[in-house]
Amino acid sequence: MKRIAIFGYSMMALETMRRLSGSEYQLIFIGQNQAEVDLVAGQGVDSRMVDFRNDDDLRAIGIGSDIDILFCFFTKDSDNVFLTISARAISDNLTIIATVDDPESAEKLLAAGANKIIDPYEICGRKTYALLTRPDITTMMDETVFGQHDLNVAQIEILAGSCLEHTCFSGIKSIEKHNVILVGVVDRELGDELHVAVGEKEHKLDAGDFLVVMGSSKDIMAFKEDVAAGVRVAGECNREV
Amino acid sequence: MIGVVILSVLLLIYEISDSHAVINGWYERVVVGLFIIEYLLRLWLCSDNHQIILAHYEKADYLNIPFRLSKVMGILLAKKLEYISSPLSIIDLLAILPSYRELRVLRLFVVFRLFKLFRYLNSIKLFAEILSNKRFELYTLAIFWGFLIFIGSTALYFFENPSNGGQVTSLFDAFYLAVVTMATVGYGDISPHTVGGRLVAMVLIFAGLSFIAFFTSIIVSAFSDKMENMQVNRVYAELNRRRGFVIICGFGRVGQHIAGQLEKDGEHFVIIDNNAMRVQEAKKYNYLAVHDDASKNAVLINAGINNKATAILCTTGDDVINVYITLTSRHLNKAIRILSRANNEENVKKLYQAGATHVIQPFEIAGMVAAQYVGQPVAFEAILGIISEEKQFIMETVCVHEGSFIIGKAVDDIDFAQRKLILVGVISANPVHCTHKNRYQVKNQHFYFNPEEYFQLQAGDLLVVLGRKVGIDYFRSQVEKSRLKLGMRP
Repeated sequence: MKRIAIFGYSMMALETMRRLSGSEYQLIFIGQNQAEVDLVAGQGVDSRMVDFRNDDDLRAIGIGSDIDILFCFFTKDSDNVFLTISARAISDNLTIIATVDDPESAEKLLAAGANKIIDPYEICGRKTYALLTRPDITTMMDETVFGQHDLNVAQIEILAGSCLEHTCFSGIKSIEKHNVILVGVVDRELGDELHVAVGEKEHKLDAGDFLVVMGSSKDIMAFKEDVAAGVRVAGECNREV
Repeated sequence: MIGVVILSVLLLIYEISDSHAVINGWYERVVVGLFIIEYLLRLWLCSDNHQIILAHYEKADYLNIPFRLSKVMGILLAKKLEYISSPLSIIDLLAILPSYRELRVLRLFVVFRLFKLFRYLNSIKLFAEILSNKRFELYTLAIFWGFLIFIGSTALYFFENPSNGGQVTSLFDAFYLAVVTMATVGYGDISPHTVGGRLVAMVLIFAGLSFIAFFTSIIVSAFSDKMENMQVNRVYAELNRRRGFVIICGFGRVGQHIAGQLEKDGEHFVIIDNNAMRVQEAKKYNYLAVHDDASKNAVLINAGINNKATAILCTTGDDVINVYITLTSRHLNKAIRILSRANNEENVKKLYQAGATHVIQPFEIAGMVAAQYVGQPVAFEAILGIISEEKQFIMETVCVHEGSFIIGKAVDDIDFAQRKLILVGVISANPVHCTHKNRYQVKNQHFYFNPEEYFQLQAGDLLVVLGRKVGIDYFRSQVEKSRLKLGMRP
């Protein structure tokens, strides 16, 4: 079970905790005062009061040992930068996700060692624009993939020795059987770009590549199990790749 | 070019004033040559020919359809003709035509270029309006000026009478001398010679300087007062010329981002913000912006809420203001789309009650993005990129119109793979589909994910497809064309 530490009391932090609670993650909320700690503890989340400026306190909650993901949700960018740089100095493997208020701080956070920057205003702007220009698609995705319905987008990593390794992307079978849509592949040889499965170019699947699929959680799980169990899900690669 | 234009007009005036003058032939030929070169270059550059040809060729190549050069040439010709018929192009042509001997009478058209350069009429109209607005101040100043002139003229007539050794022989001469002195012109044809006359002249000079300073300040302040109104009116006039536009209320971080996206996509919009600094910021990007309170009826009416506005975006950081603008907008227009931002979850319901079509919660969405990133970072980034149209591949809807070739067809009969598209699902409110599985409720419709091969399409269904824009556009055009061929109206 992955352990996630969330620093800073904000609406974003509450929403993130709400979405991650009850799943396969163990959450720890770090507040700056007792009132914040009590509020979050009341929602059933393990909450503590820690001074993020103190490295020993950070180590004490598990950074550098058993914390896998760190969220920096302070309202001040300077606090987020300081926490990111402190946590990165303690652990190189930690995944750090930070929020940003001023867009100019994004580069500073990345330089400090953050893996992902989340700008709520930019996301809101994009969302509003999408609702304005393509309301059907946006509403559909909000209600299904991002909403409460059981329709998900999932990634399946091609592991070394997997039955899909060294096979052709176009030859993947059993998609229809499992009622999932194969959206595309992230071919690491070509970068991090998603190549959508519209038959433009053939891709040879290697270990480390990702398949991106869409479907209900049950169908995606069944497909994943087939892949893991080595059930023949791939066809021959006929085209030159 | 401005110099060349002005010189050619001066030569024309010279020719008119001296009918025996011989216009320098080589200069005229050079000028006309330059005009022709300019005209041809503008005609060539008015559309990117290479880009148009390449785009059509790539589209044909991608979709495996024959490339028709004649069709592309037709498009290019249409663009050139469109430019030729534009007013500025006609003026350019009229400046060239007079070079023909048969059409020398058209030489006068050279003057048209000066109209294009200076736009006298607007300035005169503006100046008259400013004088009219400041008439009270100007009347007061004129009375004061008349009073000074009267006293000055009388005094000069008294002191500068020839019997006292002066040059002023009549009351008109005294009036003339007073005006010339007050205006600080001083021609010198009549001048004060007596001590009294010189003292009066000195007083008049200082009074005249004060008068000019007052007059200038009145005009300058009138111009600056008028400037903001003029800019606002210019914005409204500009909006009137648009077919449709979006009103963005609030130019904070969210508003800025939306404006940037709209600008990138060539969509029209206007920004209304009561913060002068933000309006200035918007103007730096050449956006149409109005410094005013968007919750006022008059402001939204002037901006075109009942005219050509297609949507209102309430993007301020204050939920109270957003509710108020939403309510005002809904009161003014029952049908317009209103997208409003809610910073607190408890205000979402209030915004819907006020009449918002959609409510966007920035922190909730950001929290959702953060949570999703933890589990499926690759998949989530990919799908987010597709939805926000950042990637080459996009997800869009194609409407199944009545009479189109796909109506009544099973999805398996429409070869999406051959069209390089993925059918993600169908959005429909048609109860005929209710027996199908993978059905998700979306507002008052259903989304049928990954429909079975026998799923039969009905009029009004929306196909959710994934692919390149060119592929989706081509498929959509085929669907629409097939409907038109069957005589259906769009």
